[in-house]
Amino acid sequence: MNDVADIDLADRDYFSDHSILLDPYQYFEALRDKGPIYRLPGRDIFVVTGFAESLEVLNNTVDFSSVVATGGPAWPLPFAVAGDDLTPLIEANRDKFLGADLLVARDDKAHYNSRALLSRLFTPSRLKANEAYMSGLAARLVSNAVAAGGCELIKDIAVPFATLVVADLLGVPDADRDHFMEVIAAGPPPGALDSAVRDESQQPLAIMAGFFVNYLIDRKQNPRGDVLTELATASYPDGTSPDIAELVRLSTFLFGAGQDTTAKLLGNAMRFLIEVPGLQAQLRADPSLLPAFLEEVLRLEGSTKMTARLARKATTVGGVEIPIGTKVMVALAAANRDPRRWENPREFVLNRPKIKENLAFGRGAHVCIGNPLARVEARIVFEKLFEQTSQIDFDAKVHGPRGHNQFDYEPSFIIRGLEKLQLTLAPR
Amino acid sequence: MPQLIVTSPQGDVHEINADANTTAMVAIRDAGVDGLLALCGGLCSCATCHVYVAPECAGMLDDMSDDENELLDGVARRTALSRLSCQILLTEARDGLRLSIADEN
Repeated sequence: MNDVADIDLADRDYFSDHSILLDPYQYFEALRDKGPIYRLPGRDIFVVTGFAESLEVLNNTVDFSSVVATGGPAWPLPFAVAGDDLTPLIEANRDKFLGADLLVARDDKAHYNSRALLSRLFTPSRLKANEAYMSGLAARLVSNAVAAGGCELIKDIAVPFATLVVADLLGVPDADRDHFMEVIAAGPPPGALDSAVRDESQQPLAIMAGFFVNYLIDRKQNPRGDVLTELATASYPDGTSPDIAELVRLSTFLFGAGQDTTAKLLGNAMRFLIEVPGLQAQLRADPSLLPAFLEEVLRLEGSTKMTARLARKATTVGGVEIPIGTKVMVALAAANRDPRRWENPREFVLNRPKIKENLAFGRGAHVCIGNPLARVEARIVFEKLFEQTSQIDFDAKVHGPRGHNQFDYEPSFIIRGLEKLQLTLAPR
Repeated sequence: MPQLIVTSPQGDVHEINADANTTAMVAIRDAGVDGLLALCGGLCSCATCHVYVAPECAGMLDDMSDDENELLDGVARRTALSRLSCQILLTEARDGLRLSIADEN
């Protein structure tokens, strides 16, 4: 690529340019050439592509607020920057930021308290209890797909699997689970570029919230020893109790956060499995390599490309001054390919040293709360696919002939993942 | 505000005035002390917030859960004083708790 093309690429608009969707990595490399932290010309946005610099931002919850994490850094602030700490202005205007009442976007004590309520859902013993359900569900979905000779991985396996696993984790009654899936399937992905509709009452999370209000009110009145009862009667670390509205927000948030990201991780992983020479045979021969495989996929192509922070105080990152009121886009996908941290960063290598330190799930106070669940979910789906198939390939009728495959990615500036992945499955 | 005294893997000592009812992992992380990865973010699922409790403070803590015990079986240098700092809630009764961050390298 020549210099002129490089300049063009770095000057494109990440938030609206569809061509960057197919390959955001070239765009991030063009920005990396300008430094590990770079201010977009004429904008109040810094983009961080360095690994160390990303850690610096993610670990600095004193100077950075997460209030822009859901809506992204491109919206103007709903207030004029004043003073040397924006925290009071952020909290007074929180309802004017998109999705700022979600857990990812909260700060400080409010964030810590709510996160503590959900933490207990993800302990190893909880996940072990959930694993039997995951195994049975994955086996069923895979079996249907194999019987049909193939499947669209995202719609036929990944989305129903990820949705129903969270439903099971939260104790959603069986009878309502299909309805939840329909609602989510009909909704836009987070960070959708084309999302003209911002009527929040029609968002999947709002519809599911209606169900959770009823569950939680019922369990408060009629405790029955299930997960919803535990949630309905849980208290914060300081002993005080959350209200129902807060519990509803947290429960529905888990669906929103865990469904699309997990589904896309499965799709991204499948591309590597099929495309990296010899990898499918190697993993079939030794499925104990699956966790290592998934970590390397998370590094190279995790399902979250970026997160965002707002400098609520003047600060520095990597020696660069960040003025108060500017926004920082942490390009997780770029940090995971930083050549200063990863040798031959664009190559797929199993068992890299310290691979679990990749930033696919973020780091620090806001690290993805579902990270242990996502890792188990992906492993189980691949285990079941290996058990029931002898070979998995892209369906050439949809994705074109080998060597000339075509793939479409979700139009989102946050999510990295295939819209569809049509597979052929040879039975065992 | 319980005080926490933490020794980093490099040997420097930090005195942290923590908010009551936060965990030791969060207090150490938010104070910016190096050496604690805490990859899973406090879910008791990764064992990268391994610390050693000072012998004189061991009696200040509750017994560990089965989850914590099993995870600690996977760390490189477990001792009788090993704990996961995300499972230690800082309360006024634990004022003055002393921990050393385990060197996992």
